[in-house]
Amino acid sequence: MAALSRRRSGSRGPVFSHVVLILGVLVILLPLTNLVLMSFMSLQDMAASPIGLPPTWHFSNYADAWNQGNLGQYLINSGIVAVVSVAGTLLFASLAAYVLARFRFRGNTAIYLLFLAGYALPIQLIAVPLFVMMVNLNLINNLVSVILVYIAGSMPFSIFLLVNYFRTLPKELEEAARIEGANELQIYAYIDMPLARPALTTVALFNFVGAWNGLFFPLILLADNSKMTVTVGVLSFIGQYEAQWNLILPALIIIMIPTLLVFALASGQFIRGLTAGSIK
Amino acid sequence: MAAGGTRITPSTSDDVDAGSPGTSLPRQAPIERVSRIKRWLTKRAYLLMLVPALALYAIFIAYPFITSMYYGLFNWSGIGPLTDYVGFKNFQYVLSSPQFARQFFTAILHNLWFFAVVTLLTVGLGTVIAHLLTRVSHRSSRPYQVIYFLPYVLPPVVVGWFVDVYLQPGFGVIPNLARMLHAEFLDQPYLGSISTALPTIAVVAAWSSIGFAVIILLATMVGLPGEVLEAARVDGASSVQIFLHIVLPLVRPTIVTVCTLNFINSFNVFDLIYVLEGPLAGPNYGTDVTGTLFYRTAFGGGFDTAAVNLGLASAMATISFVLVMLVSGILVFLQKRYSVEY
Repeated sequence: MAALSRRRSGSRGPVFSHVVLILGVLVILLPLTNLVLMSFMSLQDMAASPIGLPPTWHFSNYADAWNQGNLGQYLINSGIVAVVSVAGTLLFASLAAYVLARFRFRGNTAIYLLFLAGYALPIQLIAVPLFVMMVNLNLINNLVSVILVYIAGSMPFSIFLLVNYFRTLPKELEEAARIEGANELQIYAYIDMPLARPALTTVALFNFVGAWNGLFFPLILLADNSKMTVTVGVLSFIGQYEAQWNLILPALIIIMIPTLLVFALASGQFIRGLTAGSIK
Repeated sequence: MAAGGTRITPSTSDDVDAGSPGTSLPRQAPIERVSRIKRWLTKRAYLLMLVPALALYAIFIAYPFITSMYYGLFNWSGIGPLTDYVGFKNFQYVLSSPQFARQFFTAILHNLWFFAVVTLLTVGLGTVIAHLLTRVSHRSSRPYQVIYFLPYVLPPVVVGWFVDVYLQPGFGVIPNLARMLHAEFLDQPYLGSISTALPTIAVVAAWSSIGFAVIILLATMVGLPGEVLEAARVDGASSVQIFLHIVLPLVRPTIVTVCTLNFINSFNVFDLIYVLEGPLAGPNYGTDVTGTLFYRTAFGGGFDTAAVNLGLASAMATISFVLVMLVSGILVFLQKRYSVEY
């Protein structure tokens, strides 16, 4: 990176680049800032002066949205779905990726490709049978159904990323441990897992965001208000308080805070992970 | 991707032999067979670690995938057993009936249109942004990357309603501003007019996902051989010439990758349209994509099919899957062909 990025020449220097790049930043940040400011306005102010600081700050918008929207319940449900499915994904995908990356056996490539193929699978194609299956398993309206689908559905991306990462790890440590008599599970748990922490973090982050933001499966698998995740819940909330933007906007902002927090804490990891997984 | 699966170092299987306890057992005739089986099993005990992932994947992804194709052969509302076998009638109905085929092909066209707009923006602007990012210092490049990537992590549901706040006729921020500034031509029902609804939503999708394209394009550009670019500069090429004639051709494989991902995502698009236009994908089905048509067919909300028809929906999903696979396959082939070693 360094060699290329530091070189500056030609008539259009970094100043020109910065000007264009800042324009792009504005296209992204201006509407978001504006919407956050609007969420503190009264309905009348939103219509009269949507741009700029709120004439009067209505902090109560947030309290009202929270109290009327059942948001706490939705946040807990989404939290359960996201945390449990990420934990499951990390455990199962890393176990499988470790085997696929480290051992040669008949069918290794086939299994790896089987996992990867899922990446191109449209969710519509599995929606009907999954719905029927969940009805038969009596898991409709149960967070477990969404969690199971999310763990299974996260395998293609997670295994792809982890297999590639495990392959880059030096094998000397593993060999030493084997000579000392460690079994495969111990080598996985005490050597490869700690070494793979960056890749595991990336897997966790992407799947957390995916699980938190997902709409389709919660929409078809969860029906009760008490079981809804934030995305479906906020839709029913909006249906109920149609056009009351002074309640809807705060609700929307509240439900995206967890993803924003995760991103703020680990944006570098997001970007590095994406880069590592995507080069060729 | 395919090539990756074979790149396993031959030494690993030997390591396993060396480490497994079975090898050190004394060679005694009566227990030899037992110990051989035991040895075979201990040697392959690691396969157990594959089981949870494989089982979940098989049950909740692979099995539904296969049954979906099977359901397509039945006339079935989802209740009761699968008894009304109709062969390929559902597939025929999707592809050639006057009632359904037009909706289906319109939806496919909308998906393609959506893909075209998203790709034009993410690849067009994305390559330019990524290139500019290689021209600023490493330290200032990072914050830009973070901000460009930010919309990607926002829930599409939230983005959809944000857009609604901006574009709603009457109340929305843009119509409001337009009236204040006496620029009435900007006071349009962007989401309510058949000619603008789909492109508007596609622009929003591009806004959300451009960061992804920027990051992976940038990763490729940073890896380009510096000597080539330096040589071009020494020869007096302008920065625009360098971008067009050197950088762009070299990142072509990554551009194709972005196109492939956009294509898959465009055929999966659902959230934004569902939020902004409802399951009926208005105005007058102007934003109906395979995702929403499928949703109505499988879970209700359709207009001429009041009852849900899971068989028909499955047949439809299978057909669109085959289409997506064909095109993705071609794109992956192109990506491989464009790949250059340097």
